[in-house]
Amino acid sequence: VLELAKGFRGKKVHRIARDRVAKALEHSYRDRRRKKRDFHKLWITRIGAAARLHGLGYSEFMHGLNRQKVELNRQLLANMAILDPDSFKSLADSVSSLPPLKVSLLMPFFLFF
Amino acid sequence: QKLRAGLIPQVTEGRRWLLIDAKKEVLGRLASKLAIVLMGKDKPTYSPNKDEGDICVVINAKHITYTGGWKLKNKVYYWHTGYIGHLKQIKLNHMIERDPTLPLRKAVFRMMPRNRLHRRRMLKLRVFADERHPFDDKPLVPWTMPPRNIRKPRIYVPRSIKLARRKLAEREAAAAAAAAAAAESEGDGGTAKEGVDRPQ
Repeated sequence: VLELAKGFRGKKVHRIARDRVAKALEHSYRDRRRKKRDFHKLWITRIGAAARLHGLGYSEFMHGLNRQKVELNRQLLANMAILDPDSFKSLADSVSSLPPLKVSLLMPFFLFF
Repeated sequence: QKLRAGLIPQVTEGRRWLLIDAKKEVLGRLASKLAIVLMGKDKPTYSPNKDEGDICVVINAKHITYTGGWKLKNKVYYWHTGYIGHLKQIKLNHMIERDPTLPLRKAVFRMMPRNRLHRRRMLKLRVFADERHPFDDKPLVPWTMPPRNIRKPRIYVPRSIKLARRKLAEREAAAAAAAAAAAESEGDGGTAKEGVDRPQ
């Protein structure tokens, strides 16, 4: 256990280290799952910001990409927005040049009766 | 009123300097966009642990509009000094007299996440009541709010007036249609007027 407690603040005595190491392992377990969520959130924020620079919002942008069956993941899109803004711009242009969908709003109303 | 440039302890490279004219901007709407800009969330290089928003210089803060007829007299800012029983309050009109930049600054402060970067981000916001500001030597880029849909107010019109207007419109339309039909066709039997069935 004491090897696992490397870098801990002051608590290198076995009795105390046992508890702190247990907690640290709990945290690492939980945060390995959280890391995936956190990065997903960050990518979404970045994609949204980049899309807004092109006049779209995140939702419109992703909807447009889905309509065109572009299945790039958000990590790639976020990196593209930073490092390769020209390709991002071409994606954004392809989205804004899509014809708008005709959404029929009448159907749900009929279902109520 | 002194003009203070203030010390900016963080790095200013890589950050834009934005000049924002607050004249006739609504307080809360401007504050929310300012908070986004100060946090750097409008940039694709946003990172929650880094403080990379742009530096905002807001001028004409005393010409901000406060909507709602009650706010100037009745909106109260509360704070507690820490001593028991010392809940202080101040109304918006008094606050504007004391320091016209405070309502905007408080609004932006409260719209940003409360973390370790909170105060550092606020340091990037410089609000001035007038048009003068001591940042003339910096490369200030003017920034405007994104366009906003202002809803048209719903004016209540009594039902009887609405019906009367509709009847007038129908009559005129029928008259116009009848005139057009008479002009085009001669002696064609009376065209059945198709009235739209309106739910009463």
